[in-house]
Amino acid sequence: MVTRPENVPQLEALAVELCGIPLRTPLIPAAGTLGKEALEGTGEIYGAMLPKTVTPRPRAGNPPPRLAEAPSGMINSIGLQNPGLNRFLEDLDVFHAAGLPLFASVAGDTVGEFAEMCRVLAGDGRVSAVELNLSCPNVEHGGGTFCAGPSTVGEVVAASRETLAGSKPLLVKLTNDGVVGNAVAAEEAGADAVTVINTIPALVVDVGERRIFLRGGLSGPAIKPVALRAVYEVSRAVSIPVVGCGGVTSGTDVAEFMLAGATAVQVGAGGFVREPGVILDEFEEYLRDGSLRARDLPLAIGT
Amino acid sequence: MKLHPVEVLSREEHGRHVLLRYRWTGAAPEPGQFVMVRPERHADLDPFLPRPLFAHDYDGDTMNLLFEVRGRGTALLAGEDAGLLVSTPLGRGFEIGGGAAVALIGGGVWVSPLKLLSRHLQDAGVDHDVYLEVPGDAPEAYADFLRTRYEGATLVETGGESDPSQTVLDHVGDPARYAALYASGTAAMLGAVKRAADGVVPAHLALRERMACANGSCYGCAVPVWEAGEKTYGRTCVEGPVFEAEVLAW
Repeated sequence: MVTRPENVPQLEALAVELCGIPLRTPLIPAAGTLGKEALEGTGEIYGAMLPKTVTPRPRAGNPPPRLAEAPSGMINSIGLQNPGLNRFLEDLDVFHAAGLPLFASVAGDTVGEFAEMCRVLAGDGRVSAVELNLSCPNVEHGGGTFCAGPSTVGEVVAASRETLAGSKPLLVKLTNDGVVGNAVAAEEAGADAVTVINTIPALVVDVGERRIFLRGGLSGPAIKPVALRAVYEVSRAVSIPVVGCGGVTSGTDVAEFMLAGATAVQVGAGGFVREPGVILDEFEEYLRDGSLRARDLPLAIGT
Repeated sequence: MKLHPVEVLSREEHGRHVLLRYRWTGAAPEPGQFVMVRPERHADLDPFLPRPLFAHDYDGDTMNLLFEVRGRGTALLAGEDAGLLVSTPLGRGFEIGGGAAVALIGGGVWVSPLKLLSRHLQDAGVDHDVYLEVPGDAPEAYADFLRTRYEGATLVETGGESDPSQTVLDHVGDPARYAALYASGTAAMLGAVKRAADGVVPAHLALRERMACANGSCYGCAVPVWEAGEKTYGRTCVEGPVFEAEVLAW
């Protein structure tokens, strides 16, 4: 294990680098969990900004109900409600004003739509990197997500890589199903990093009404062990960075993901129930107690 | 979501309802706003999500919450010595105009936000009549509580009829005799008030929805609304919980 010298400034201990982008902390908001109404003070917590996934055209999203609580987590079915790319770009200054690297999460119905959005974002100076959302469980693409298999992942990543034109890092967010094979395919097709994992498909049944109440994606601490395993396996199968995501609610969780192989860590539903600033404080304390630097944690444990 | 530990002053049971009072000297709640709450002893994220509860009343340093115990989350909130973590008041509350008399209508057992609204209307010198449903299966203790809590209110007992909301509205009478309707309650009641007010008087409806982030980020508490002539979904936590009736695409 690598240790850091005494008296290393806290900010330096927290800093990491992701695909050549310096991040002052390893925390990134997971797509769809930090809105423009909730940005106050978050510029001091996160290493990068990541607004809600945008699609080429406005999308109304799924009809309610969209939420249910689960043991140690929640299930959502939002359906990528968003105002479309044009309006997204108009609103982007609010996120850019945080002064952090700005990542844009995109989704489309076709490979062409992903590629076209990357082409637009390649020319936007506010955007530092693009994350392809290939894994939202709440929208259908002919019966499956773009995480359907390595060949689909490879096709959409290659097309997006081409239009992003090498100018900006391309992250690919994957679901848990087939994550290792899909991550390898993403890397081979030109991805610069993979985000592991999105919510896990889940179902809520209303026994009183004898009906399906909600068909959505499970997030929160309930999926953390699954996400950790995915990060661990993927980080050993690819040579590009892995961004961990899934059930982070504490600084210890952040450390676990980084020790499992993540270069940076996304905070999603956990940020609804605990303050992300507190999560960062806890992680910083972990580093301080162990005389550690965040950048040294990935793969700092034995196999 | 930042939740503040607060001093619980009392917990009173009124049938299945609990009136929970805590000291609060932060931002004063507007009528119709809500707070996210979690029992402090269960701050280990079980249950995972805090619960949104309307501000029931506030007198400058004491906040009142009124809720029915319906499941484990609310049962834990009601527990003695559970402690309490609360957010600041959130969301968009009732708009209060001046002048002519208005009607406050509570349906089912979801009358909580009307108390603080009544207080503010009184302070603003706006005459108001209060109509509260007492469902047939509500405990007598709850009805007694309403009688003392909402002095002068018309309590409408329902039960057995196919449309309890209409029973309450029959007591309200012609909506045109009021400058506005303010409603809290079941979806059926809010829908009935919207229909009764349509084209007659403005109606302000306080919605109850499941919430996760409570700050506009997650879009989980969406309700159908009209925006520029098109149907879309609005967020109850930031665009509500009080919506103008004509905005709701029900």
